[in-house]
Amino acid sequence: MNQKQREKPGYWNWLPAAFALAGVIVFIFATYGPPASSSGFVSTLKGLWSSIAPGYAQSHAHYRMIPGPGSWLFTFVLGMAMGGFIGGRTFSKPVRDLPPVWRNRFGDSAARRYAATFVGGFMILFASRLAGGCTLGLFISGSTQLAWSGLYFGVLIFGFAMLTARLVYGGVAKEEK
Amino acid sequence: MIAKLMLGLFSGIAFGFVIQRVGATDPNRMARAHLMRDADIPRFMLAAVALSALGLFGLQAAGVGRTMVLPISLVATGLAAAIFGIGWGLCGYCPGTTWAAVGEGRLDAVFALVGGLAGAVVFAHLHERLIPLLYDPTNLGQLTVTDAVGSHALALVVVLISLCAGIYLIGRIWKNDTATD
Repeated sequence: MNQKQREKPGYWNWLPAAFALAGVIVFIFATYGPPASSSGFVSTLKGLWSSIAPGYAQSHAHYRMIPGPGSWLFTFVLGMAMGGFIGGRTFSKPVRDLPPVWRNRFGDSAARRYAATFVGGFMILFASRLAGGCTLGLFISGSTQLAWSGLYFGVLIFGFAMLTARLVYGGVAKEEK
Repeated sequence: MIAKLMLGLFSGIAFGFVIQRVGATDPNRMARAHLMRDADIPRFMLAAVALSALGLFGLQAAGVGRTMVLPISLVATGLAAAIFGIGWGLCGYCPGTTWAAVGEGRLDAVFALVGGLAGAVVFAHLHERLIPLLYDPTNLGQLTVTDAVGSHALALVVVLISLCAGIYLIGRIWKNDTATD
């Protein structure tokens, strides 16, 4: 196959997709308020705590400031999973559990990949809760509101992610197929 | 109440579908974006912010909707961004995309989601200790660009120009060269 040929099976072009996402974001500002997704993790946990250790969530400030699963924040992340499901089911390209760029660097071990995504997931949520929001709840929501917090967070997360990707993948990204 | 929950669900479905369709739930494309080899994901993100800012300006002019600006803490927001960026660069997921990627059927995203729940548990447990230590001392408040330039419209123009410059530079500097998978 011609390597120069860019192959994007059914992916939307970035600009129309940005219009679509902005439409959703403005709809959310109009009908709810600033969109957020890391708060949905806390809502989920609040629901889990109420069934396994009632009282734990109420004794911790972080859970008191976020509503439980009966909230917009929770149905939003649930909806995201459903939207991803619908998107995936109607997409020509099957998903892979090991990204090709990862496999070229670290081989076929699924356990290694899963360990890395667990650690990465831990870090992004720990950090989001410290900052008060994530890519959506702080960078996108904040910058849309012209907030310095969102712009500051956005510049730094891109910078650190780019540095980290260079360290993680080294030079092998060049030879990926 | 039910209407609010349905609005959340509907908004989430639309959001999850769009980010799946642009490829933001694919950690391979996210890694390539971070390696400066796929310009579409970062341009998509910046353009979405620019268009949303424009749309929100319209909403505010019409007196519709609700805004809530998060404060900026130089230390906490900066440190959190560093930790977040390292985690994002490592796994290729951010909190929102993990949910959509789990729905899409990506098994590595399930581990990112469970890791995320664990990270939120640990932070929530330490909230009372970490917020006074890291967040409060350098909390500058709910500052916006409007506070710096004096006018909401001018602030919007400044942010839009910066985002457009970012989009242009990414288009020039990122390679965007090979097949995405």
